[in-house]
Amino acid sequence: MLKSDFDRRDFLKVLGWGGTAVALTGCGNGMVESGKETVVSYVETSDYMIPSISVYFNSTCAQCDAGCSITGRIREGRVLKLEGNPESAINRGKTCGLGQAGVQNHYNPDRIRAPLLRTGDSGEAITWEKAYALIDEKLKGVSGNEVAFLTGGMSGHLKVLLGNYMDSIGSKNHFAYEAIGPAVVRAANKKSYGVEMPRFNISKARVVLSFGADFLGAWVSPVNFSQQYAQFRKGAGGHQRGVLVQVESKMTITGANADRWLVVRPGTEGILALGIINALGAHGVKMSGDIAAAVKGYDKDRVSKDTGVSGEQIEKIVVLLKERTPSLVLAGSAAEGYAHGSQNAAAINLLNQVLGNVGKTVEAAAVVPFPQMAPATGNTAALKALNDGLSAGKYKVLFSYGANPVFTSPAAMKFKDNMAKAGFKVVFAQYLDETALQADLVLPLDSALEDWGTQVPEYMAEGAQINIQQPLMEKLHADTRGMGNILLALVKQRRAAEYKPFDDYYGYLRAAVLQNKAALGGAHQADNDIFWNETLSKGIIKLDGAQHASLSVKSGAAGLSLPEPSAIDAQYPLQLIPSVNASLRDGRNTNQPWLQESPDPLTTIVWDSWVEIHPKKAAELGIVEGDIVEVSSKSGSLKVQAYIFPGIHPDAISIPLGRGHEAMGRYAKGYGVNPFQILDMVYDKETGELALHETRVKISKTGERVIVVKDEGPVGGNQEGQKIVPLMATDKANLSKEI
Amino acid sequence: MSISTLFENYSEFRHRHPDGDVPHNPYKWAMAIDLDACSGCNACSVACYAENNLPVVGKEKFAHGQAMHWMRIERYWDQDGREFPDRGARYLPMLCQQCEAAPCETVCPVGATNHTPDGLNSQIYNRCIGSRYCSSNCPYKVRYFNWYDYPTTDNVWPAEMNMQLNPDVTVRSKGVMEKCTFCIQRIRGAEIDAKTQGRLVRDDGELQTACQQACPTSAISFGNLVDPESKVHKQWRAQQVDLDKHEQVKDEEEGGTDLRGYRIYEFLAPYPSIMYLERVRESEI
Repeated sequence: MLKSDFDRRDFLKVLGWGGTAVALTGCGNGMVESGKETVVSYVETSDYMIPSISVYFNSTCAQCDAGCSITGRIREGRVLKLEGNPESAINRGKTCGLGQAGVQNHYNPDRIRAPLLRTGDSGEAITWEKAYALIDEKLKGVSGNEVAFLTGGMSGHLKVLLGNYMDSIGSKNHFAYEAIGPAVVRAANKKSYGVEMPRFNISKARVVLSFGADFLGAWVSPVNFSQQYAQFRKGAGGHQRGVLVQVESKMTITGANADRWLVVRPGTEGILALGIINALGAHGVKMSGDIAAAVKGYDKDRVSKDTGVSGEQIEKIVVLLKERTPSLVLAGSAAEGYAHGSQNAAAINLLNQVLGNVGKTVEAAAVVPFPQMAPATGNTAALKALNDGLSAGKYKVLFSYGANPVFTSPAAMKFKDNMAKAGFKVVFAQYLDETALQADLVLPLDSALEDWGTQVPEYMAEGAQINIQQPLMEKLHADTRGMGNILLALVKQRRAAEYKPFDDYYGYLRAAVLQNKAALGGAHQADNDIFWNETLSKGIIKLDGAQHASLSVKSGAAGLSLPEPSAIDAQYPLQLIPSVNASLRDGRNTNQPWLQESPDPLTTIVWDSWVEIHPKKAAELGIVEGDIVEVSSKSGSLKVQAYIFPGIHPDAISIPLGRGHEAMGRYAKGYGVNPFQILDMVYDKETGELALHETRVKISKTGERVIVVKDEGPVGGNQEGQKIVPLMATDKANLSKEI
Repeated sequence: MSISTLFENYSEFRHRHPDGDVPHNPYKWAMAIDLDACSGCNACSVACYAENNLPVVGKEKFAHGQAMHWMRIERYWDQDGREFPDRGARYLPMLCQQCEAAPCETVCPVGATNHTPDGLNSQIYNRCIGSRYCSSNCPYKVRYFNWYDYPTTDNVWPAEMNMQLNPDVTVRSKGVMEKCTFCIQRIRGAEIDAKTQGRLVRDDGELQTACQQACPTSAISFGNLVDPESKVHKQWRAQQVDLDKHEQVKDEEEGGTDLRGYRIYEFLAPYPSIMYLERVRESEI
């Protein structure tokens, strides 16, 4: 029995179950133990560890925030390979390439191995005791308002601990920042459906009309969506094969798999959506008066002129949407990246409403009933707020975890300079990345395969679940620490009494799970040890009774106004599309060599950046493959090799994000260019999010030329008349009868 | 054994695959890859690096065509002169087709590559002398040569990274040829397990190749082609693709059939063990 000198409500908050209506086992029979256990080294043989025989442990993939459950294969005490855990509703035993590379994050030779304190231009290795003491000392005499904590998206008990730590130092300045998170779409969904992230039932839809949502690549929960996509293609519920129409200005991997890929003038996605609604009305689809009024001006001729999509094609889409129900319309990253991104997304969501998809293919997701643990999703508006504060000299102490803003913010934001204004900067990192290099104190983290944790995925596939993260092997380096342990040590500096029962983060997590055993599906299990071991062995806590959020459909027609397509700027005539590759994303995984050598699915390029230019535009500018071109915006310029690519609007060019590191490690540093650096600071008018697609550029040849390093052969994507990948039309194929 | 004995008793030594005197018993490992499900995401390829100790060669060697990806995704465009590829791209996971009459086997001067009774085209590393004839003779270009000694090359497997190497798979040295093995370490493991338990390998996920296990769209199926209950067998049957034919009966029909199964370069008569299912595109849009 816990002897506590604080009350029960505080205790719930300490452990992350605060603010909930869920019944906890009453105080009195909740046995809480400190739960100290040590991961045994291989030399002390365990009964489950036999040389040459693999053992498997379940955990959670941390390569992105989708929350896929993984099973690690461990032999002779080393984790060798990660597979998907079939029990998870999110990934059902599957993994993506990014997830596979998780072991290279763990075994990476460039990990930081000791706490580093800056002395002038160099770093000196110090002990953890000294590091903690230094933080304590630097926080003395500093008010809570003067402390800022920047993180990536985070959830689970780590978020609970962080919240409690911030509380203990009296600071409300937690900034959650994701460089490429779907923040505008979340806000638009909240308005249209009443929830930020509903469930998208791709597998139940017969037509998917996606406006730049790269759901097979890097959008939200790609492994889940990929499986749904496979079912959708086979034909849901005995129907014929599902049809995918993708609307975007630069082809993504999802666009490459579409039945019809429609190139649209950048930024006019919303206009096309309203045009489709208008045409649906003409086909007799019923809609409310305000919606009909809102789309009145969007007749086929005008929409066709604005977007570049032919009236004939719009007609075909409308017929398809009307005949094959239910359908599903998705608003993705390409649609939200403009100053009118919110309006674009609202117009697209309106289409779902008109088609009656809300409640069918757009459903409310199950919710983990512990708000303290719910994911803190990040956005660029948070980074802007932090940057403004830093610029004004508001913060004396800055913490940064799970983000690399020096790399991912536009150079025009001057984040690096503003960061220097904070007196004491602490960065928690696995690598000496661009942001860590600016820190005064760098604290080395355990890899995700060495650490404990809980995670609540933002996108819930079926029932609510809490994912468990556990070490898959002994720590590689003696002097790294898990973020949970660090936060626990820090919060103990402030609230020693409350956190005294927990020797370490493991003990804290164990106590937390056991405290709420009944709500976590352990009501039947009287023995705490058995329940705890069962939980670890499953790697997932399924909350079967969890409530689903309720959708509240509001007509999105109110206040909807889309700007005319912007005229071409004479000085900067091209639109820059910074593209998101499924493996490299915002650049945090670039130091994993499998991902550097994994060819980009569209261009097959490896180990470098490139700029995609449409053949027509390239011919006009006299550019051929391999020409080094200078791409300049108002905010900066970079030099990069050209790749002639048919899947892009002729008035746009595209450079992938994720490469162009100046630090981080041997596999990342010096490869490619970083388009974040030349982005103009244009923001979405409603949400204040950085509009990633609003940068206008010009390109010019430098006269240099290189051979593009890529996987495709000299004839590019030409089959030379051979039957290598033939195509079959659906009126011939019948997939529903296949095995 | 003299050459004359070999020629005189040739039939004893030479078994004709796949229609020869010794049928595959009890296993014939084969694959079916649905290109309509495949999204070209590369998960299979990375999973193969993880499972089979494939070296990352780096930018310069990649430029020289020395990449070691046993499984690669080929991307093709429609060649119809349209301004935009508005039917998307076409993706093809390309790996060793484990041909029954493999063109690579007959040209090996030292018999380093040959056929196993369970239908695999195997590569014996310590017999290989690096003539590379097999690679020139492979119509699919899926054989990869070790131009360098990767274990001792900088930054291929530096300290700690080498701890990830799969102990069930050889780390190859300079001068030998390598290629997809259908994850032979997993196959042998499952076969031996089944044998000790007095049964055959089950078709319930007991044995999966690394690429198949990762594939987010489950586009790859793998199994025992001679087991009438296996999914692969059923798929091949339903698509009317016969292992031992180099021209399928269904293809003689005028205008083709509505069956999607085909094998790449079948007309060369290598009798590949991988059947692909054609990519499909909607006609109404």
